[in-house]
Parts: sequence; C-alpha cells; structure tokens
Amino acid sequence: MTDEAPREAHGTAPAGGGRLRRRAGRVGYLGIVVLVYVYLLTPLVIVVLASVNAGEFLTFPPEGFSLRWYVSFFESEAFMGSLFFSLRLAFFATIVSTALGVAVALYVVRFAGRWRERLRLFILLPLLLPEILTAIALLFFYYNAEAFFRAMGFDLGSGVFRNSVLGLLIGHVLITLPFVFLGISASLYNFDRSLEEAARSLGASRLTTFRRVTLPIIKPGIIAGALLAFIISFDLFNISLLLKGIGIATLPIQLFDYVRWEFDPTAAAVATVSIVITVIAILITEKLVGLRSLRF
Amino acid sequence: MTELAIRGLSKRFGDVAAVDGFELRIGDHELISLLGPSGCGKTTTLRCIAGFESPTAGRILFDDRDVVGLPPERRNIGMVFQNYALFPHMTVRQNLAFGLEMRGVSKGEIGQRIARVLETVQLGDLGERYPRQLSGGQQQRIALARAMVVEPSILLLDEPLANLDAKLREEMRFFVRSLQKRVGITTVYVTHDQAEAMVISDRIVVMFDGRIHQVGAPDEIYSRPVSREVANFIGLSNFVDGRVLGAGDNGEFRLETQVGTLRCAYSETLAEGREVALIVRPEAIVLSGAAPADSAGSAGNAIAGRVSERYFLGNITGYRIACADGLVLQVQDDPWAGFGVGDEVWCTFDAAHAWIIPD
Amino acid sequence: MTNSVEVPAAGGASASGPARKGWNPTLFLVFPTVGLLAAFLVFPYLNMVVMSFRNPSTSQVFAPGFTLGNYLDALLDTDLYYLEILLDTMVLGAATTAICLVLGFPVAYHLARTSSRFKSVLYAFVLSPLLVGVVVRCYGWIIILGNNDGLINTTLMDLGIIESPLALMYNTFGVSVGLVHIFLPFMILPLLGAIQSIDPALEEAAQSLGASRFRTMLRVVFPLSLPGVQAGTVLVFVLTISSYVIPILLGGFSVMIMPTLVVQQLMDAMLWPFGAALAFILSIAGALVVYVYFRLTSRAIRGIA
Repeated sequence: MTDEAPREAHGTAPAGGGRLRRRAGRVGYLGIVVLVYVYLLTPLVIVVLASVNAGEFLTFPPEGFSLRWYVSFFESEAFMGSLFFSLRLAFFATIVSTALGVAVALYVVRFAGRWRERLRLFILLPLLLPEILTAIALLFFYYNAEAFFRAMGFDLGSGVFRNSVLGLLIGHVLITLPFVFLGISASLYNFDRSLEEAARSLGASRLTTFRRVTLPIIKPGIIAGALLAFIISFDLFNISLLLKGIGIATLPIQLFDYVRWEFDPTAAAVATVSIVITVIAILITEKLVGLRSLRF
Repeated sequence: MTELAIRGLSKRFGDVAAVDGFELRIGDHELISLLGPSGCGKTTTLRCIAGFESPTAGRILFDDRDVVGLPPERRNIGMVFQNYALFPHMTVRQNLAFGLEMRGVSKGEIGQRIARVLETVQLGDLGERYPRQLSGGQQQRIALARAMVVEPSILLLDEPLANLDAKLREEMRFFVRSLQKRVGITTVYVTHDQAEAMVISDRIVVMFDGRIHQVGAPDEIYSRPVSREVANFIGLSNFVDGRVLGAGDNGEFRLETQVGTLRCAYSETLAEGREVALIVRPEAIVLSGAAPADSAGSAGNAIAGRVSERYFLGNITGYRIACADGLVLQVQDDPWAGFGVGDEVWCTFDAAHAWIIPD
Repeated sequence: MTNSVEVPAAGGASASGPARKGWNPTLFLVFPTVGLLAAFLVFPYLNMVVMSFRNPSTSQVFAPGFTLGNYLDALLDTDLYYLEILLDTMVLGAATTAICLVLGFPVAYHLARTSSRFKSVLYAFVLSPLLVGVVVRCYGWIIILGNNDGLINTTLMDLGIIESPLALMYNTFGVSVGLVHIFLPFMILPLLGAIQSIDPALEEAAQSLGASRFRTMLRVVFPLSLPGVQAGTVLVFVLTISSYVIPILLGGFSVMIMPTLVVQQLMDAMLWPFGAALAFILSIAGALVVYVYFRLTSRAIRGIA
C-alpha cells in the first residue's frame, strides 16, 4: 500500500492501467446510457422533423421547412373527424373511469377488509390481461349479446355495442380504470388518517370531512390518474381496432390505416399533433402534481 | 366547564382486551395524564373518550351526559394529535377557522377568536403560513390552538410533545400546563414519558396491559407506588424481598430480609409472615464509610456492602453497591461524595423513605 | 385505588354498538366497478372460451354444436404451421426481453443513482415513448427504416456507401427494433424501483472490500435488483407475445406471430371459433412459460433475500 502511492503519482504501469481501465469502463457505461436515450427519443424527433419537412420523404439533410403537411392534415375530413372523435372518447372515458376509480379505491383502501387484496387484483385485471385478448373477447361478447337481445325479441337497431360509441367507450373505460385506481389508491394509502380524525374532533361530519379534508389532499392522485387515463385512452389501439364500427375511427386507427398504405408525411403531421396533445397532458400533470405521481 | 366520568370502560380488539375495567372521575379544571408503556391501552382510552373507538362496555359521561354512541363531531372535544394532524392544504388561519366554521360561528367572530388564540400561543404573525412552513414547535402550538379555539368541553392530548426535540419538549411542558391552568379546561393527556407526566399533571393514571395500576398525584405515585411495574416505570428503584415480622411504632413495619431486619413505613395493615418487597429509591440512600452509631435502635436502616461501580452524572454520582447474598443496591449520592470502587460502605436510609409493595 | 373493576352499568354501550349486520352503504362504492368488470371482462372471457369450442361455419360466425376440432386443427396441423408460429412468437418474446434487460439495466441504474438536476427530464424521456401512441412510434421507425425511402437507406445511398437499399423493415430486424423500443420503458421502470431501494452504502461496502465497479454491479447490485428484473422481464415478455401493431406495421405480412395470426383469422377469414382457439393456445403457452420462469427465478430471489 504505502509503496504503491508514489508509483501511482508517477503514473507508471499497474496503477495507471487500472485507472485507464476504470475510465474506459465508465465511458462505456455512460455511452450505453446515452445511446439508449437517443434510441428512445429518435423516432419521436424524426416524426416531428418529417412533419415540417418540405419533401415527400425525409432525407438527410432535410429539404427545407414547410407546413404543407399540416395544411393537408387540417383539410382532411377523415383525420380531423377522427381527431375530435378521439378527444371526445378519451374525455368521456376519463370521466367515467375517474368516477368509478375514486369510489372503488375508497372502498378498497378503507372498507374492503380481508377482501382487499383479491379486490385489488380484480380491478387490475384489465391491466394484467393482454389488451388484444380483451379486445377479442369484447368483440365476441358484443356479437353474442346483440344476438341474444334479438333472439329475446328486443330490436335494438343496428347493434348496441358493435358499430356504436358505447361499445368502444366501455372498452376504453376497462383499460383506463386500473391506472386511475392505482393513482388514487396510492394517495389514499399515503393519506394520514389522523387528519380526518382531527376534522371530526373539530366538529365536522363524515361527509364534510371527506369534502373539506380528504378530497383536497388526495386530489393530486386523482388528477394524475385522470390525466394518465386520458393519455392512455387517446392512444389506445387494439381495443379501438377490433371494436370500431363502420364510420367510427379513432385517430390511432385512422393513422394506422393511412401509414400502412401511404407514405406521405401528412401522417407525420397527424402524429406530431398527437404527440403535442400528449405532451400538453404531461405538462399539466407535471405542473399540477409532479410527474412522479404517475403510476404504472 | 365539564366533569368527565368513565365507568367500567372496556375495549376489546378480537381476543385482546386493550382496555379493561377503566374507572375514573376527572374533575373540572383538572389535568390528568394517562401514563404507561406503548400498548398499555392509554391511547385506546383516549380514543374512546374522543369517539374514534366505540367501547365494548362501559360508560363515558361528560357532566352526567353519556356520550357513548355519539360521533366525535358531536362531543365538543378538542384533540391534539401526536403528529399534529394540521391540514396541509390549509393555512394556519384556515386550520384554526375549521372548527369554528363547523360550529357556525360568524365570520367576524372567527377572525377575533383566531387573533386571540394566536396571541395566546404567541404566533400572532404566522396566520397566512402553511403548516409545512412552520417549525415542529410552531406546528405543535398551532395544533394546540386549533383544539382550544373551539372552546371544547374536554381537551384530549395524544403524546403531543413526542415529536419535539428534548429541549423544546421540556419548555413546552410548562407552556401546555400554564395554558391549561389559565383556561381551566378539563384535560386528558396521554404520554409514555414519566418525567413529562410528573411535570404536567394534577394526577397521573398509570396503566399496564389495559388496566389501571394506580391513580394519584405525581409525588404519591413516586414515593408510594402500589406495584413493582409502577415503581420500575417511574424512576429507579431498589427492591429488597422480605417477610413481615410485625408492626413497629408510628406506622412502621419490621421486615426480615436477606440483609437483616429492615424498617419501613406503610399505610395499610399487613399480616405477619406475609411475603412482600421493600422499595427504596436510590437518592434516599446515604453512603457512609463507618457503621452508623446505633443501627438497631433508631428509625434508620443500614446495609453493609462494597462499591462495585461508580459513575459521574454531573449533578449526582451513581454507585452500584454489592451487598450480602447477591443483592445489588443502586445509590445516587451528591457528586462530592468520595467513595471509589472497592470501598467498604454502609448504605443507610430512613424508614420513612422506604415503602412496601405487597406482591 | 387499584384495579377497581366494577360490572359496567346496564345498557352501557350495547345500545349503540357499531356491529350492525346486513346492508352496508359503502358497497355502493364498489358495485359499479365490480359490475362493469364482471359484465364486460369476466363474462366476455368466459364467452371466448365457449367460442373456441364452437363449430365453424362458412356462412355465419359459428354453427350450432360444440367441438374440439379448433384446437386439434391448430395443434395437429401436419405442416406444424401454427406450432411453428407459436414457437417463433415465444422466441421473439424471449429475445426482445433479453435485449430490453441488457439495454435497460444501465439506464435504470444511472437514473436511480444520478444526482443530476436533469433527473426529472431523464425520467420524462424514459416515460415519453410509453405515453406516445404505439402507431406514432412505429411510424417514426417506418420513416427511419423504410426499405426504399427510409432515412437510413437514402442517406447511405446518397453518401455512396451502399449500392442498393438494405432490408431494414418488413423482417424480424425491423420488428425487433420496434418491439424493444416500445417495451423498454416497461423494463426500466421496475428496475428503477428495485435499484432505488438498494442502499448505496452496500455498493460502497463492496468497493471498500476491494471489488471493482463492474464486480460490484455483478455481485451486489444485480442480485439485489432481481425482483425488479423478474417484474420487468415478465412484463416485457407478455407484452411482446401479445403485440399486434408493431409486427404488422414493421413486419408487414412477412413476420407472422400469433397475435397477427389471430386477428387475421378473426377479421379477414372471419373464423371466430378457430381464432379463439388460437388465442387460448397462445395464452396457455405464454402462461406456462411465465410460470416456469417465475418458479425458477423466485428460487434464485429467495436465495439472496
């Protein structure tokens, strides 16, 4: 030990070599980290670049700046229609799953007792089962349910579930519910019950306590859960693909159909708008409650 | 003001009796401490009084009105929690106003009463702060103010000083006590800190395993404990096992022990031959180098021993004295007493300073 | 003074005792959700089981009666066509999972231990692919990898490095690039949680005992993060073997895996009973793999914990 110190100071073979190796290891490690981040972000950056590129194809170097693909997007009835449809669908799915999620999270955390774990698992089922299977199961079920109603003599028109917004909405609620539930139940578990007792001791009833103390404190969890539900629903694909009706297409479906056969960058403009909507939702979350409250 | 009576209170959780047959009357203006180790049932008792637990049996009377079955919000209590439980999303002022709003107090009066209570707890200028912007001591005082501002019938405090650092905790004891005396509110104070209970209380209720062992003023609990648990929980104690030989003069008993005959005060009658323990506090014992002149005749007791350990605590010097038959006595003497390890000493104490615990 | 136990006064607490049996209003909180899940998740899955035993029909969705034929057709096919696709699916799942683990671990470790003030930005980067729709992300890769007009091919040809375009898409390579990209966050997040819960003092202890950084990683950090590894790998594997969009968009019809096959049977061939049977074969095979993997890795985790 003692006679190694001066050697290291002179930078001679053994110690210096070790240091070099250590530095090489560190550079390699950070290199991988950086490359993975580049890999994660590149497609998103490329989509945005392609959307403002003047040419038909993105080349390197780009051919110049142009908004013509956005014009083409905004003039496309199919795309605009599906954009607004997606926003509406995501909005309603969020409302429904947030309302259900708050109620059921309250029950699971506060009242479920020995059923708690089983109930929790049950509510998380849509998250644990592959989305494509759930979509297929719903497709079959809707068909059979409609056939059943027809056989019973109820003519409900051209499909209650299939070809209808209702069927799609139910699918979206199923998938988004676990996310809302996770966010809210986490904030309920972290909630300090003595705050409610303090309110009761000061004369507040159960309901007033919930409204004035519990709700404001778990609000970040609710907001985070709701925004996440919105993003998930807005981007949901498999459920929408199998349950979409004639003339009903969400933005991801419309985009999917387009990019399978067409390569013109209108799709890039659409994708960019969809990224922007997500980013806005994330920024709202970050601003209101911090990104860390998003739970997967 | 309100008198609190608790009659035969029991609370079971499954097979476990958290509180068992709790009986107590707490007078107007009185500050009672529930003292005991964790799990002794003191907090459960407090939560029954507050209404957060419903008793398995028994009655809780606020001025002869049974409150069992009444939800907490209709009992007109003030409660201070161990972690203060200040609403994090409300300012200090909003926290203080909460209870008054629940009682439908007018806006103007709320303002006045908050100003007054902030004055009382000496935090007049912190009204617009949020709890997280306050120090621990300030939060504690705001929690106290929030409980007091509604002018409750009963004030309940659940280990309110446990989260403060040692020095602040000692200051706050006096603050809480003087505030309680000034307002004159009937108060139940839960703590596991015996020094805190001694400083603050009019009377102390010592609990173990869900049962009351002793109720009494601090000096009474300290000098005349009724059980080994109480004696051990409050201060240091020496126990000497023995058998009653008979009653002596002026309320004294003579005991036969492993270190000879000892005399001891006791207030109740004891049958001859009964197995008991004598308890003497370390500071009641005086060390001397020579045998006292007439160890047989006077009220004094003397036990011979050898110093086995000595430690210096500043205000006192502590000793462990090895006596006959494996008995080790703990002694606290003034810091200038000059005995060293290995010295032969006599431990003497007055019969009036010893006490009997009938086992 | 002590223990004065008295019989409690009559009528004490019994009149207002809290234990009232029967209807509980808090159940209103849980019924809507449980009802929804029962009607639109549990029941549909049961219905799908039934569907897989239905008789096929050419004119309708299914014919009356029940049969094992759908399963037998899939499993006993003489060309082993379906079993081969199943095997391809599992291999693709395992490969994607392995690549995600190798790429994800350094990133998760870095993110867990960095004190950079850009930590939350990096966290957002990890999350970002997760929050952007899968179609958008695939489209990004189409622009980059495109076989004729893709960014890489055009650039390389312009530079004269290659003569004719490389086949980057519509093959397993393209699909893998997409799968790894899209599921990497699902690996990083559990790893991040696991690594964050490892006391950094343990690493310092290992180094104080003479272990290099690399050996510390191998012998201390990695074993202690195994619960996160287990969660992440299972998640990525399950997601991969049930992915549909990515193989379709980046693989075209040249990369056939079970989910694409199932959807093809359902939507194009309209063979619902057969599609349902294929879906269950995939589910059971996937569950078996996960189960065996869980058993093996859980033993390893118990070994250290």
